[in-house]
Amino acid sequence: MKKSHIVLLILIAAALCVIVSMFGDFSTYETFQSASAQPGKQYHIIGYLEKDKEMHYDPVKDPNHFSFYVKDKKGNVNQVVFSGAKPIDIEKSEQIVMSGYMEGNTFRCNKIQMKCPSKYQKDQVAVGKG
Amino acid sequence: MNEIQYIGEQLRPGQLGHFFVIFSFVMALFSAFSYFFATRDEQHNSNSSRVWMLIGRNTFILHAVSVLSIFIALYYIISHHLFEYNYAWAHSSRSLPMKYLLSCFWEGQEGSFLLWSFWHAVLGIIVMFTSKQLESRTMTIIAIIQVALASMVLGFYLTPDIKIGSTPFMLLRDKMVDAPVFAQANYLALIKDGNGLNPLLQNYWMTIHPPVLFLGFALTLIPFAFTIAALWKNDYQTWIKPTRIWSSVAGGVLGLGIMLGGAWAYESLTFGGYWAWDPVENASLVPWLTLVAGLHTLIVFKATQRSLPITLIFFILTYTLIWYSTFLTRTGVLGDTSVHAFTGEGNSLYWHLLVVIGFILIVSTTLLIKRWKTLPRIATEEATASREFWMFIGSFVLLLSALQISISTSIPVWSPLAKWITGKDIAPPSDPVSHYNSIQIWVAIIIALLSTAALYLKFKKTDVKSFWKKTALLAAVAIVVTIFIAVAQKITGIQYILLLLASVYAVLANSYYALAMQKKLKKMGPAISHLGFALLLLGILISSYNKEVISLNTLGVTMDFGKKTQQENIKESRENSILFLNTPVAMSEYMVTYKGDSVSDADPRTFYKVLFDRYDTSSKKLVESFMLYPDAFINPKGQEGLMANPSSKHYLNRDVFTYITSAVDPSKVEDTASYVKHTVKKGDTIFLVNGYLVFQDFEDANYSDNTGALSVKARLKAYDLKGEAGELKPVYSITEDAFQNSKEDTLRSFNVYAKFVKVNPTDGSIDLLIKQRDPKDDYIVLKAFIFPYINVVWLGIIVMFVGFILTAINKILKKETVKPTSKA
Repeated sequence: MKKSHIVLLILIAAALCVIVSMFGDFSTYETFQSASAQPGKQYHIIGYLEKDKEMHYDPVKDPNHFSFYVKDKKGNVNQVVFSGAKPIDIEKSEQIVMSGYMEGNTFRCNKIQMKCPSKYQKDQVAVGKG
Repeated sequence: MNEIQYIGEQLRPGQLGHFFVIFSFVMALFSAFSYFFATRDEQHNSNSSRVWMLIGRNTFILHAVSVLSIFIALYYIISHHLFEYNYAWAHSSRSLPMKYLLSCFWEGQEGSFLLWSFWHAVLGIIVMFTSKQLESRTMTIIAIIQVALASMVLGFYLTPDIKIGSTPFMLLRDKMVDAPVFAQANYLALIKDGNGLNPLLQNYWMTIHPPVLFLGFALTLIPFAFTIAALWKNDYQTWIKPTRIWSSVAGGVLGLGIMLGGAWAYESLTFGGYWAWDPVENASLVPWLTLVAGLHTLIVFKATQRSLPITLIFFILTYTLIWYSTFLTRTGVLGDTSVHAFTGEGNSLYWHLLVVIGFILIVSTTLLIKRWKTLPRIATEEATASREFWMFIGSFVLLLSALQISISTSIPVWSPLAKWITGKDIAPPSDPVSHYNSIQIWVAIIIALLSTAALYLKFKKTDVKSFWKKTALLAAVAIVVTIFIAVAQKITGIQYILLLLASVYAVLANSYYALAMQKKLKKMGPAISHLGFALLLLGILISSYNKEVISLNTLGVTMDFGKKTQQENIKESRENSILFLNTPVAMSEYMVTYKGDSVSDADPRTFYKVLFDRYDTSSKKLVESFMLYPDAFINPKGQEGLMANPSSKHYLNRDVFTYITSAVDPSKVEDTASYVKHTVKKGDTIFLVNGYLVFQDFEDANYSDNTGALSVKARLKAYDLKGEAGELKPVYSITEDAFQNSKEDTLRSFNVYAKFVKVNPTDGSIDLLIKQRDPKDDYIVLKAFIFPYINVVWLGIIVMFVGFILTAINKILKKETVKPTSKA
């Protein structure tokens, strides 16, 4: 056996170990209910903003506290607290992906991604008057 | 239904453009076939081959000209604001400055395919004139790829449901058939303006980054085309030189393009860094890694005739990955995982790209398998102390690195399969940055060491003693420097120390190699690019290890965030700090004060003035003071909230970087403060919330014949805790019929409004109405960072780019002594 083959085998073995171990890093998509089973563990939750319920951001009190309500894919509505400033245009988001964990009855999240209606898909043309 | 005769539409540019789209498609197809026949007839019918070659060339030139014409037609439409075209309407607006019109061009899907195709056309013509014996084969490949790209903008309906490509010349009324406005013949008169360019893209980076990145993408086609040509011809000597040149240029330009994206993110987006391991970034990094791996094994092959099969695989893989990255970023398959994935064109693009990727893979693997047995190989074993051995290992490590990044980035692609097997719905890592960093740091360490050590080894056989002598000496110096930096920068943790050591060693040893051993500039290419890479690693390590968030909030409540990563959670959660108008807040060594905002008619943005003062810690004297102007679009295009651009102060050894995350929306503020009357004499003081005003004197007493009014100003000086802060000059006037009038003056930075309403001749005093808005009504929320030694990152990129280009130039200028090839 060639030396280079031995080194390659070692490298491949190491790479396999790394790849297997990195699966532990991957998060999973959950719902509020399934995330409550393990409070404190980081999950991803996909949901929709509850526009009728209160959104609260008062930077004078705490610039890192934005709370709102989200309905998850199972239809459960839960309070979410985002530790940051209120993201732009969250009112118009079609879908929200949050990364965080359950604590008591609230979902504490530190990352939000929103899917917004693309400006290209708006089937409306801005029409000027006159 | 009657056809409506629309008024004012300019249909000619679109028709011309569309004609050129079809023409460029047909010509590329024609050229591909001609070059293919030229290759087929090469051996047995050289006359016919020559004729086909001629046709192939001319049709390719016609193709290139029509790609250029499409470009011009589309540019005409955008620059003349022809909003009857969807592309102009969707991506531009009248108010957009000239310099951003090109950016509109490649904001959209179709425009960026055109840009890509344009570079291919340019490079194709260069290859046509330089590739000699390999011309017919390489050009067949290039022309086929151009067919694939041209089909992306065809906008051709195969059946009413199956659309091939999407044309940039589509009319708005065809795009939105149901919109009622198109029932009117004069609809164009009603469409005043286009949708405009996304405000985030309105900066010079959007003008530079896409063309360079797409040039990098396009350049990877050329090594691929030569690889296929070599396999096709079954000749593995003639392709070496051009492939080395093209892959060096591609490595340099693609690397630069990727990092221009990083610089853009750093300078004008609010990611708080230059690299976030975002899927879109990863997707272009991965082919760069495999390209660089292929470039190195090709050098091994040239020097020792070893490593040919893996070299071929690397170049094929690279080009496939380029298309895969397009697939990842364009089809919306990344969906929820990327911050800046483009919106998908929908299903048709998804399948279209899959077909192209499938085609590339099938053609190249079939060819590779067919030739596999006959590929020249060397049976003996290489020496362990040889350059080729370690270069090969290094390239393989790059491949593994690319593999890891691909697997993690492609989670959305393979997660449905994983769900089917395990039942778990796998999501990307919660903290992607640490996920990738913790693995890739080891790759970085290995590559830094190998990229340096390999230069000190010789091909085939090296004198081990002299190698170790030099290495030991350099390593000793590196250890000293590492200890020094580690202590100064407070770096701990074994992997960070190792990376520091590896990159310091690489910087030193590559510089020494370039200056002391190579001496001639033209030969320094490899050492310089390795030096650049080492500097890049060093910069990444120091700038991110000691990146400091200085805007940690001290107001509000500390929340309990679970125990495991409490420290991090708290840090993460409190990075936003609130600044009230004129109220200094300590951030690290700075006193930071929000001094008010400003808007102008010429710019839709609001600029916020943020003053940074640095005081000497012992003498408390002001040593430095500068203003940053982070800006934001408030409620852009009817959106709620703000879209911010950062501002930073650059020093040689660090950057102070800040951006707004929230601000008072001026349209929503209710003025709660009211005027208070003050009767003052000269020299009197009026106290304010955060300072005071002094009535100094009257000024500019003036009688106007026209209005019959006598007017006078009162000069009020404003002082805050630090001293004089400005002046107010409210005006009082009185007419013949004793009609009193006053004109208000404001001092924006103080938020104070003054009216001069009455003079009291009895005691010489005057009546002033003073209003000061509560500073708590005007505030901004911002994040501020310090990036130490970020310039080392940029320097590394530039040095690496120079190294790549120098290598390519050296190869171009070198007169190759033609070796007798194994198969002549």
